[in-house]
Amino acid sequence: MKRIFTKISVFTFLSLLFINAAFAQNITVKGKVSDGQDQTTLPAVSVMIKGSTTGIQTDVNGNYSISAPGNATLVFTYIGYTTQEIPVNNRTAINVSLASSSQQLEQVVVVGYGTQRKVDVTGSVATIKGEDISKQASTNPVSALQGKVAGVSVTNVGAPGKSPKITIRGTGTIYGNTNVLYVVDGVWYDDINFLNPADIASISVLKDASSQSIYGIRAANGVVLVTTVRGKNGDPTINYNGSIGIQRVTNGVKMTNGQEYATAVNEATMIAADSLLLKNPNFGKGTNWYDQVLRTAMVTNHQISINGASEKSSYNFSLGYLNQDGIVEKNNYKRYTARLSNDFQIFKGLKIGYNVTGVSSTSSDAPTTIFRGLYSAAPIIPVFNPDGSYGDPAIYKLGNGSATNPQATMDFFNQTNKFYKATGNVYAELKFAKHFTFKTSAGGDFSQEEVRSYTPVYNATVAQVSNTSILAIDRIENRNWILENTLTYDNKFGDHSLTVLAGQTAQRYRSYTINASGNNVPYNKDGDLYLSLADASSRQITDKGSVNTATSYFGRVNYGFKNKYLLNASLRADAASQFFGGSDLWGYFPSIGAGWVVSNEEFMKDQEVFSNLKLRGSWGKVGNAGVPINPSTQTVDQSAGLIAFFNGQPNTGAGIRTLVPPVIFWERSAGTDIGLEMGFLSNRLNVEVDYYNRTTQQAIFDIPILGSLGTENSTLIGNQADFRNRGYEFVASWSDKTSNGLTYSISANVGINNNKVLNVTSGANPIDKGGAGLTSGVLPTRTVAGQAIGMFYGYQVTGIFQTAQEVTASAQPDAKPGDFIYADNNGDGTIDGNDRQYLGNPNPKYSYGVNTNFAYKNFDLTLDIQGVAGVDVYNGNLAARFGNENYTKDFFDNRWHGPGTSNSYPSANMSGGRNYLANSFWVESGAYVRLRNIQLGYTLPEMMTSKWKIKKLRVFANAQNAVNFFGYKGFSPEVGGTPTNAGVDINVYPLFATYNLGVNLTF
Amino acid sequence: MIKTNLIQMKTYFNTSIQRWCAVGLLSTVLLTTSCKKSFLDIDPQGQQESEQFWKSQEDATKAVNGMYANLRTWNNTAFPALAIESIPSDEADKGSTATDATFFNLYDTFTVTSTEGSFLGFWTGQYQNINLTNQVLDNIPAITMDESLKARYLAEAKFIRAYSYFRLVRAFGGVPLRLTVPKDQTEYNIPRATKEEVYAQIEKDLDEAASVLPQAYGTNDIGRATKGAAIGLHAKVAMYQQKWADALSLTNQVMTMGYSLFPDFEKGFRTQNKNNSESLFEVQCELLPGNKDASNSQYSQVQGVPGVVGGGGGWGFNVPSDALNTAFETGDPRRDATILYRGETTPQGDKIPTTTPNPRYNQKSYVPFSMWVSGFNEGAQQNVKVLRFADILLINAEAANEMGNTSLALSSLNKVRARARGTQTGILPDVTATDKTALKTAIYKERQVELALESDRYFDVIRQGRGTEVFGPKGWKAGKNEIWPVPDQEIERSGGLLTQNPGY
Repeated sequence: MKRIFTKISVFTFLSLLFINAAFAQNITVKGKVSDGQDQTTLPAVSVMIKGSTTGIQTDVNGNYSISAPGNATLVFTYIGYTTQEIPVNNRTAINVSLASSSQQLEQVVVVGYGTQRKVDVTGSVATIKGEDISKQASTNPVSALQGKVAGVSVTNVGAPGKSPKITIRGTGTIYGNTNVLYVVDGVWYDDINFLNPADIASISVLKDASSQSIYGIRAANGVVLVTTVRGKNGDPTINYNGSIGIQRVTNGVKMTNGQEYATAVNEATMIAADSLLLKNPNFGKGTNWYDQVLRTAMVTNHQISINGASEKSSYNFSLGYLNQDGIVEKNNYKRYTARLSNDFQIFKGLKIGYNVTGVSSTSSDAPTTIFRGLYSAAPIIPVFNPDGSYGDPAIYKLGNGSATNPQATMDFFNQTNKFYKATGNVYAELKFAKHFTFKTSAGGDFSQEEVRSYTPVYNATVAQVSNTSILAIDRIENRNWILENTLTYDNKFGDHSLTVLAGQTAQRYRSYTINASGNNVPYNKDGDLYLSLADASSRQITDKGSVNTATSYFGRVNYGFKNKYLLNASLRADAASQFFGGSDLWGYFPSIGAGWVVSNEEFMKDQEVFSNLKLRGSWGKVGNAGVPINPSTQTVDQSAGLIAFFNGQPNTGAGIRTLVPPVIFWERSAGTDIGLEMGFLSNRLNVEVDYYNRTTQQAIFDIPILGSLGTENSTLIGNQADFRNRGYEFVASWSDKTSNGLTYSISANVGINNNKVLNVTSGANPIDKGGAGLTSGVLPTRTVAGQAIGMFYGYQVTGIFQTAQEVTASAQPDAKPGDFIYADNNGDGTIDGNDRQYLGNPNPKYSYGVNTNFAYKNFDLTLDIQGVAGVDVYNGNLAARFGNENYTKDFFDNRWHGPGTSNSYPSANMSGGRNYLANSFWVESGAYVRLRNIQLGYTLPEMMTSKWKIKKLRVFANAQNAVNFFGYKGFSPEVGGTPTNAGVDINVYPLFATYNLGVNLTF
Repeated sequence: MIKTNLIQMKTYFNTSIQRWCAVGLLSTVLLTTSCKKSFLDIDPQGQQESEQFWKSQEDATKAVNGMYANLRTWNNTAFPALAIESIPSDEADKGSTATDATFFNLYDTFTVTSTEGSFLGFWTGQYQNINLTNQVLDNIPAITMDESLKARYLAEAKFIRAYSYFRLVRAFGGVPLRLTVPKDQTEYNIPRATKEEVYAQIEKDLDEAASVLPQAYGTNDIGRATKGAAIGLHAKVAMYQQKWADALSLTNQVMTMGYSLFPDFEKGFRTQNKNNSESLFEVQCELLPGNKDASNSQYSQVQGVPGVVGGGGGWGFNVPSDALNTAFETGDPRRDATILYRGETTPQGDKIPTTTPNPRYNQKSYVPFSMWVSGFNEGAQQNVKVLRFADILLINAEAANEMGNTSLALSSLNKVRARARGTQTGILPDVTATDKTALKTAIYKERQVELALESDRYFDVIRQGRGTEVFGPKGWKAGKNEIWPVPDQEIERSGGLLTQNPGY
C-alpha cells in the first residue's frame, strides 16, 4: 500500500507540472454566448480548448473569459444546441451564437456501463436531471422521483430517514430482495438514502428488460443509475443550498370525542353482551390523542459544495446536513454527509480518480406501534389525572385493544439509531489505440448501524408497567465490495458507428448482525448504557450473518447505420453463490434491441410534421439472485423456542422445521418493449409511447403447503410461479418560450400496468397473507393464478341487518341486527368460506404525473402534480378491533344504531359475530391526486448581487404534499407492504405536508 | 470453470496493464480475493446443515428436547387449543371484554365454520409436534450411541406422537396419518386415515413406548415421558373407544406404580409443585431469565386476570361459566381452588381487583402476580397438566363400573373425593351408589369438578354420548358437532384429497 501512495503522489506532482506548462503562451479570450434564434444569453455553456481538458463555463449572463493559446480552437457545447468549434486566431473577443439542435437527439443518457446518445437508445430509459431532484428541497433522492417518470411508482413511508418503496413497471419479483438496484458510480446498493440529493448529477431509470439486462443478476426489479456531481472546468465554484421548513399532518382523520365514543362503546357492549360498559357516558370532548402526540415539526437542510478543475485534475467536495423532526414527539433524524471526488489526468490517455462518501446519521425513533396506538386510544381517558399520574384505560375496563395511554408509550420509549457508512470507488481509465478504453473500478460499501433501546422501570397504567429495566443493543455491519473491469471499443467509419463493450465483475456481500440485551442497567447518564452493567444472568446475545458472492461477464454491441438504423445486443452471464452446488450456477441474460429513426430518412426530409420520429423495439432477459442464501440446503433450527425444560432447567433443543426444494433455479424475467418517440414543432412538443410486456418465469415463490407437514410456516420455497406485468406508458412534454420572455415546460406522464399471476405450481391453491394485526388473524389478501398478486379477498357486504326478523330469514341466523349481510355467492343458504370473492386490487393500475416549470424574468415557478388510480386499500386500522378501540367520526356519524339508520355501515359492534371477517366494507379506493411540489423562486438581479461577489442568489418557497385529494377514509392511501401483503393499512405513518423557505447561493 | 476464468484474467492483467499502479492495486485485490479455492462456494452462516445433523448422541438429545419444547407453543396451549378443547364446553365462556376476540363465541355457539383460524392453528400445532417426533424416529436409529438411551428416546417420541394424534382424532376424527418425514413431494399430500386407524396407531405407539420408558427419571430429566404416562394415556385412549377391559387393566397397572394424589388440591397447581406425586405428564414451561423466546408459553397469560397493577396483564379468556360455578357440591373446596372470584384474595395473598371485566377466572392456570417479570409473558412458568393420577382413578372407576366391578369403581372414585375433602368433615361424603347408571352419573359428575378447566370436559361429554343433553342448549347438534371441521385451507391445499366432516 505504501508504495502505491508514493506513486500516486508522484503523479499528483507531475500533474502540477503539466498545469504550469499549459499556461505558457496564452492570451485571454472573452465573449458572450447567445441563442441563435432569440439572442438570449446562455449561461453554463461549456467552453473548452480543443484537445485539452481546459475549459470553463459561461456565467449567468452568458459571458466567458478563457486563457488559451492564440492558435487554439474553442469548443462551445451546450445541451440542446449544436456544438460549435471556433479557431481563436489570436482574437481576444469572440461572441458566439449557438444554433438550437434537436434537443432529444443530442441528449446523452447514462446506460449500463456507459453512455449513449438518447437517439441511439433502443430500450426505455428515462433520465432526470440532478437539478430537478435537488430543486425540490426533498430530504430523500428517491422520493423526489415521485411522479417524474412514467411507470415508476414511488410509495412514501413517512418516517424521517426511511426511503420510499419504488417499483418500476409493476411488481417484478415477490420473494427475497424486492428492491430496485441502485448503481451509484458503479457501486451497487439496495437503497440510496445515504446520498445528499445535491450530489446527484443525473439519474437514469432503466425501465425495460433489454436495458436492464446488462445488470442481469440483480435487474429483476429494475435498475436506477445515479451519476454524482464531478468537478467542472473553471474557477472554483461554491454552491450553498439551504432551506428551513415545517412539516405537519395533512388530511388527518377525525376520531370520535369522549361523548361519542362512550355512546358507541355502550351500543357495542349492549349488542355483544347486553350490558352497558360505561354507565355514565357523559365525557364531553375528552382527549384528542392526535393533537396530544402529533406536532408541527421542523426540517432544516444545508448543503455546501465546492468544485472546480484545472487542466489535469478536477475536484468536487460537498457537505450536507439534514435535521428533520418527525411529526410525533421525540422523533428526529439527523444526517451528515461528506463527499469528495477527484479525477486526475495522469497523462494523455490515463485518467484515475475516486469518490468517497461518508455518512453519519442519528435518529431518535418513534415507538413502532404509536400510530395504531393513537388511532385506537380511547378519548375518554385523560392524558394525565389531576394528581399527575397517567390516565388509565383500565379504570373503565376497556380491554385489550385500547388498554394503553399513548402519552405513556411515548414517554417511556427510548430508542436511538446510529448509522455510519463509508462508501465509494476508485477507478482508472485508459484510452489506447485510438478507439479503446479500458476502465477498472473497485467499489466498497462499509456500514455499521447500532440500534439501542432502553426500557426504564415504570408504572404508568395497568397495561404499561415495567418492573425491570432492559437495555437492548443491536448492531448490524455490512461489508461489501465490487470490482469491475470494462473494455470499450468505439469507432465511427463511414456511415457506421460501432461500440463494443466487454466486461467482468466480481462482488461480495457480507452482513453481520448481533443482538444483545440485559436487565437492570442503571441509567443516570448515557455512559451507563453498557451491557457490562446489566445483571450477569440476564445478559443474552445472538448473532447471525450472511455472505454471498457473484462473478459475472458481460458484453454489448451497439451498431448504428447512417444515424437511421440502430441495433443493440448484449449478453450477461452471472454465477452466484446462492446457486452454487446446484445444476444452475450460471444464469445467462441476453438482450436485443433495434431502432429506426424514421425522421432521418430521405423521404421524411420535406415533411414538417415531425421533427423527430423514432420507432424502437427490444427484448431482454433479467434475473434475480436475491433469494435466501443456500435456499435448497436444509438447516437445523436451534432457536430458544426449542429449549426444553426438565426439572425447571433449560436443555438445548433442535429440530428441522422446514422443507426445502431439491433444487432451485435462477428466477428469470423476459420483457419486450416497443416504443415510439415523436418530436413536433421543432421538438418543442415531444411524445413518447411505450408498450411493454414482461413475464417473470420460475419466480422464486413461497407456496403454501399442507399444515399437516408440520413445518414452521407451512410454506415451501421454490421456482414456482410465473407472473406478468403488461402495460403502456405515455409521456408528452412541451417546452417553449413566448415573445414576452416567458419560458415554460409542461410534461405529463401516465403509466398503465396490469399485473397477473399466470401460473403457480400449487395450482389453484391460494397464498393467503396479510394477517398481521387484524382481528383474529384475518387474512385479507390472496395470491392465486389468474389474479393480480395480493388481491383483497373476502365476503361481499350487501347491506346491514336491520331487524331480528331479517336475521332469522337470512343465511346468517347467528347474526344480530347491525351486522353485515354477506352475499351468499354460491346460493347454498349458508355463509361460509365458499362465499368469498375478490374485493379489490392493491396494485395501482394507473400512475401519473404532471410536471411544469415556468420562468419569467427573475421569477420561476414549478408545479408538480402526481397521483395513482385504479388501486384499492384495505382499511385495517378501522377493521382491527380487539376490544373498545376508538372509532372514526365518519364511522360514528354513519353507523347503524337502530333499524333504518344505515344500510352500509355496521353497528358499533364492528368486530362482533362474523363482522370481523375480511369483507368489502374495509376495502376502499386508494386513488389520490396530489400537489406533490409547488415552488416559487426569485433570482436577485445580477447588478445587485455582483456587488457582493455573488454569481447567483435565488430565494424560494416550496410546499410538498400540500394539497391531496382522495376518498380513502384513513390517513394516507399510500400504504405499501410486501408484494403478497400490500395495501393493508394498519399503523401507517400519517401523510404530512412540508413547507420550506430556502436559498440557493453561488459564488 | 471459475478457476479457469480467473487464470485467464490473471494473464490478461499481467500482460497488458500491469505497469499502472492503480490498476495493479485493483488486480491484486481481485486476484487475492478470487484466487481462493472457490469464490462462490459459501457455507451457510451460523446455521447447521441438516446433513451434518443426526450424527451424534448429542444431536439425538437435542432433537428429543426440541419435541418437548414444541408442546408449549401458542397453537398447543393458547387460543387455538382453548377454542377447540375448552371454550365450547359448558364449563367455560369466552371471557375478557365483550368486544374482545369475539371469534371464540362462534365456537361457543357452534356456528363456527371451517375457515376460522383456530382450526388450522390447532391442526398445524399438532402436526408440528408430529413432524419433530417423526424426525427423531426416522433418524435416531442410525446414530451410533448408547443403545438404551436410543431406545428410550424413540419411546419418548412415540409417546408425544401418540399424544398429538389423540388430540387430533378427538377433534377431527380420522386425519392424515404421517409416521415418517415425507421423502419428497410425492409424499406431501396424503388422504385422511380412518378414525379407527388413527386410534390403532396411537395404541401401538403407546404400547411400544410403555415397554421401554422408565418408571421415573433422575433429577435432571424430570418432565420426560414415563412408563406411567404412556400407560395412563393409553387408558384414556381406551376409554374414548369404550374399550373398558383395556382401560381397567391399564389403570390398574398405573395404580400400582407409586402415584398418589397430592394432598392439597389447590397447591398441586402452583408452580412449586410442578411434577408432583400426582402428575403423569405435564407440558414443561419456565420463565428463563434473559430468554423471552424460551419463556414462550402463553397458557397462563391468555387465561390470567386482566387489569392487575404490576401483574403483567392477563388476557382473561376461558373463564369459568355459571354452570361450572354451580356444579360443585356445597362446600367442595375444589370450587375455590378452581375459580378465582372477582374481589377475592388468593391463598398466595393476591387481591383480584373488583374492577375486572369478568366475575371469574381460571385458578388452575393462575400464577401469583409477584412472579411476573416485565417483558415476559405473564405466568410463563406455569406447566400445563396433561394427565393427573386423579384422572387415572376416575377412568379406573368408570371402567370398573362398566365391567361390573362396583366396589373397585367406588373405591377409586372415593379416593378422589377423599383427597378433595382433605381434613374437612361434613362435605363430599363417599359415594355409595351401586346402581350402574347412578354410579356412572356420579363418576361423570366427579370428572366435571375434579378436572374442571383442564380441557377435558368438552370431549368427555361427547364421549359419554351426552352432547345434546349438555351442550344442546348452546347449539350443539348430534351428527355434526361430535367432531370439528377439517380446516378449510387444508382441504383447499390438498386439492380436495382431504374430505370435510359431515355437516360442515
